[in-house]
Amino acid sequence: MPHRILIIDDEDDIREVAALSLETVAGWEVAMASSGAQGLARAVEYHPDAILLDVMMPGMDGPSTFRELRKNPATAKIPVLLLTAKVQSNDQRRFADLGVEAVLFKPFDPLTLSTQIAGVLGWS
Amino acid sequence: MPEQAMQPELSAALDRLWRQHLPQIEERVSLLEAAGKALTGERLADHQRETAKAAAHKLAGVLGTFGLMKGTILAREAEMLCAGDADPATAQQLTAIAAELRAVIAGRT
Repeated sequence: MPHRILIIDDEDDIREVAALSLETVAGWEVAMASSGAQGLARAVEYHPDAILLDVMMPGMDGPSTFRELRKNPATAKIPVLLLTAKVQSNDQRRFADLGVEAVLFKPFDPLTLSTQIAGVLGWS
Repeated sequence: MPEQAMQPELSAALDRLWRQHLPQIEERVSLLEAAGKALTGERLADHQRETAKAAAHKLAGVLGTFGLMKGTILAREAEMLCAGDADPATAQQLTAIAAELRAVIAGRT
């Protein structure tokens, strides 16, 4: 059975490239949300195997969305990987300290994104 | 699917997405150009600076994903400029970077 991934990102282009990459390269099933609030609802109904979560979003940003996901028993155990274009090391440490599975960086290579995610999550 | 067999399929799909999102990408460069012009006349409002900074941040994330790493590097420079001092030198640099970004984007076939 293919893995199921939820991508939460307010940027249409990034969201669609990531989805294309995971579907085409890895054959995974992908659901998408364009905001933190929409992502929380989608996570409950879709119950993905993992969530790829953008950091900088208007309204509820990535870290806030992550904390809400952890508060809800229905989504608390879903692995979350943050996706960010922030390259400064203090930002990276701050994100890693949140308790997410990993912090991935934009730009990403569409050819290897799924390998990165699978590697972090121990998926063969 | 083997990587070599999958690459043309992914590449073609990425090209479709590039064409689809090109207007949005170009609009972000326009925001940088507008910020550069406003800085030249020392009338860059805070909200315009923040908008330009966000546009640069988004360009940095997306351009490399479409294979334009030079675009990502330029956009990161623009993001730093938008966060720094508002002076004529910054205005000149920002305007030059926006022009380079236009060229990089136009060069993607």
